[in-house]
Amino acid sequence: MGKILIVDDTLFMRTLLKNILFSGGHEIVGEAGDGAEAVEKYQALKPDLVTMDVVMPKMNGIEALKEIKKIDPGAKVVMCTAVGQEQMVKLAIKTGARGYVVKPFQAPKVLDEVKNVLAS
Amino acid sequence: MVSAPVKVQHNGEWINCRITIDDEKLVIPPPVNLTIPLKHIVDLEEKKKNTLTIHRKDGSVVDLVSVEKVRFVLKHKILMKCSGYRLMVQFMSPAIRGGVLLTNAAWEKGAIIVLKTGIWCITQNKQICIQIDDVTSIELTKREVSEKPTDVVRIDHLEHHDVVSSFILTQISTLQILHNFLQEATAGIKMEGTELDAMDQQIAMLVYSGMDSSSIQNMLQIQFKEIDRVYEKLISLNMAEVKEIRREVQLTAKGVRYITDATKSGAN
Repeated sequence: MGKILIVDDTLFMRTLLKNILFSGGHEIVGEAGDGAEAVEKYQALKPDLVTMDVVMPKMNGIEALKEIKKIDPGAKVVMCTAVGQEQMVKLAIKTGARGYVVKPFQAPKVLDEVKNVLAS
Repeated sequence: MVSAPVKVQHNGEWINCRITIDDEKLVIPPPVNLTIPLKHIVDLEEKKKNTLTIHRKDGSVVDLVSVEKVRFVLKHKILMKCSGYRLMVQFMSPAIRGGVLLTNAAWEKGAIIVLKTGIWCITQNKQICIQIDDVTSIELTKREVSEKPTDVVRIDHLEHHDVVSSFILTQISTLQILHNFLQEATAGIKMEGTELDAMDQQIAMLVYSGMDSSSIQNMLQIQFKEIDRVYEKLISLNMAEVKEIRREVQLTAKGVRYITDATKSGAN
């Protein structure tokens, strides 16, 4: 079980992920609504894992991932994006994302992915 | 020619016999005494355990029961010669399961065969059947293949209540034809006239994610009456079906397709 930071610009998605991850026994240490806030909260909260939306205002998920990797090269980040944006996968993986989930997603599969990334 | 022991349903009884199959025909000996040219087979189903149902052009049906090894050989021979839309392609199935990209998924060289009830993807040692009724979306899209963005057909479908995506790759000219053909084959799922308001969509999305009604109630801070109203609507639109008497619903292929489309159009 891990300490998780949830990053998504929609409250609905953050709440959904929070419920899913909480039901899987994880601790939600914080939430962020854009990339810049995600970087700030990563530094402050030092989570074990971040779920990161890709399309967000101010700073997108890929940029935020780069910044987080500068701060902590071992950071475990699982990217979340919508159907049809899977071409972002390669860029995110090149940048250091450990996992990738496509919205809409199913709770058990997300929990498996988070578990795998935490164990890696 | 291959010969194998099977049970064949004949006049309401199961008959033990040894059938033969070659590249042209399937021969069932007396008392069934039937020769089926493979090109007269229009559909193949495997709905019941260990049973292969062969649909012939004349509307008749033959049920065969056998072990997996025998059924595998029969299916391969039939699928490569039967009457259906068939193309040599590369496929990746499954590539995404429940929204999670499968890192061990790989392109495989084989064939796609589109029959009345199923889309089959086969290689020498693999057979995958996507039931037409379980298809939630067919899309011509791009995917990175050998470092280049490449046109592929994406098929989203339900598999034991998991939402699974598979990709098909072939030359672009053929891909367009395949895409059109698959769209026609799955035209049963019409979304016209299916309108959900914001609350309906949120509840449907939570059902998709696997939330039960009490979790939805807690998450959205709404009365159960409201959830029940939305469930009723999803059921009446054939987007959901009753899972338990206390009314937990799960999305049908149509419901999954709606939520996938809604997420896509929101692009977030």
